[in-house]
Amino acid sequence: MSNRKFNLSLDGWAVALALLLALFVRLNIFPRIPW
Amino acid sequence: MSTSVAIEQPKSNTLSSRVFSFVPGVILLAAIGYAGKSIEQSISRYGKSHHLSLPNIEYVLWAILIGLAISNTVRIPELFKTGIATYEFWLKLGIVLLGARFLLGDVIKLGGLSLALVVIELAIAIALMTALGRAFKLTPKLTTLLAVGSSICGVSAIIAAKGAIDADDEDSSLAIAAILALGAIALFTFPFIGHLLGMSNHAYGLWSGLAVDNTAEAVAAGALYSDAAGKIAVLAKTARNAMIGFVVLGYAIYWASKGQAQIVHNKALFLWQKFPKFVLGFLLISILATLGVFSKEQLGSLGNLSRWAFLLTFAGVGLRTNLREMQKQGLRPFIVGAVGEILIAAVTLGLVLGADSIFHLS
Repeated sequence: MSNRKFNLSLDGWAVALALLLALFVRLNIFPRIPW
Repeated sequence: MSTSVAIEQPKSNTLSSRVFSFVPGVILLAAIGYAGKSIEQSISRYGKSHHLSLPNIEYVLWAILIGLAISNTVRIPELFKTGIATYEFWLKLGIVLLGARFLLGDVIKLGGLSLALVVIELAIAIALMTALGRAFKLTPKLTTLLAVGSSICGVSAIIAAKGAIDADDEDSSLAIAAILALGAIALFTFPFIGHLLGMSNHAYGLWSGLAVDNTAEAVAAGALYSDAAGKIAVLAKTARNAMIGFVVLGYAIYWASKGQAQIVHNKALFLWQKFPKFVLGFLLISILATLGVFSKEQLGSLGNLSRWAFLLTFAGVGLRTNLREMQKQGLRPFIVGAVGEILIAAVTLGLVLGADSIFHLS
């Protein structure tokens, strides 16, 4: 698979992963995240 | 020196090999960060079980110190370097997720105050650095890079400005080295001064976000004081980062008018290209939190995910700080940077204390 298809900037990757994590948390796919 | 701020491109092109090339370094970041967290908890437990009042040294400092000890005593194998360079990715991920801990009203109120102070700080920092650069006879473009680095957001701003004003590699390396060295010093001096002056979490966080240049160090300097101060430092620094496009555009136009940089034809596009997009992610998560999309427990989970991301960042701050490499970069840019930074720190401290007495930041 060519990496040209994943040509997101560093900021783009960070925002995309944050939104994905937020979605998982919202849908309770993740259990409560401890610290 | 390791001044990389973007994820390094591995030789192979496949996505799986790129992902695997990050793994060893990321595991190292996680191990150092977790060791820092464990040390903080162990000291706290020991103090409680032995009825001792031990100072609470945040995991942030332990993670940075372990990273510093490793990077300055042993040669880090190449295998780890790609993963270590992801520390800025974790920083941005942590900032975006931290948006969940701010209601939009707080962002507008504190962000608005931060922006007002940022504009004053920008003007003072640029004027000071320009005057100091001339006094110490630095090259005009190195002076510009130091002014951009100290007024906005450190390394990212220097790299953005380097391309826009056609500065050479040596000047940008010198400016980055000076800004990183001063950021490392700020990590240890800012919390000390904050405690000495008995600053509130809000006031201290605002000061760190306004005066410490590189985003990772600004967040770490805030978190070293307290969790609450770390949050405010992120907000103030994010407001400062948002100004990057305007300052770089101003300098690009200035150098183009002298025939020493390319003319910017589409200014709106230039501003959009230089705008740090993670700021939009931070605002989006904050809007979702304000709209009640997440329950209280889910907001807590997002906040904790943000802290785990910062844990990796702080380990990276220590690992990429190589004191010997910094010494090799020469003294003059460092002196200009240091004198400028001390003055900027003093002026921003005055601004924050003034704002505190007017708006009663608490």
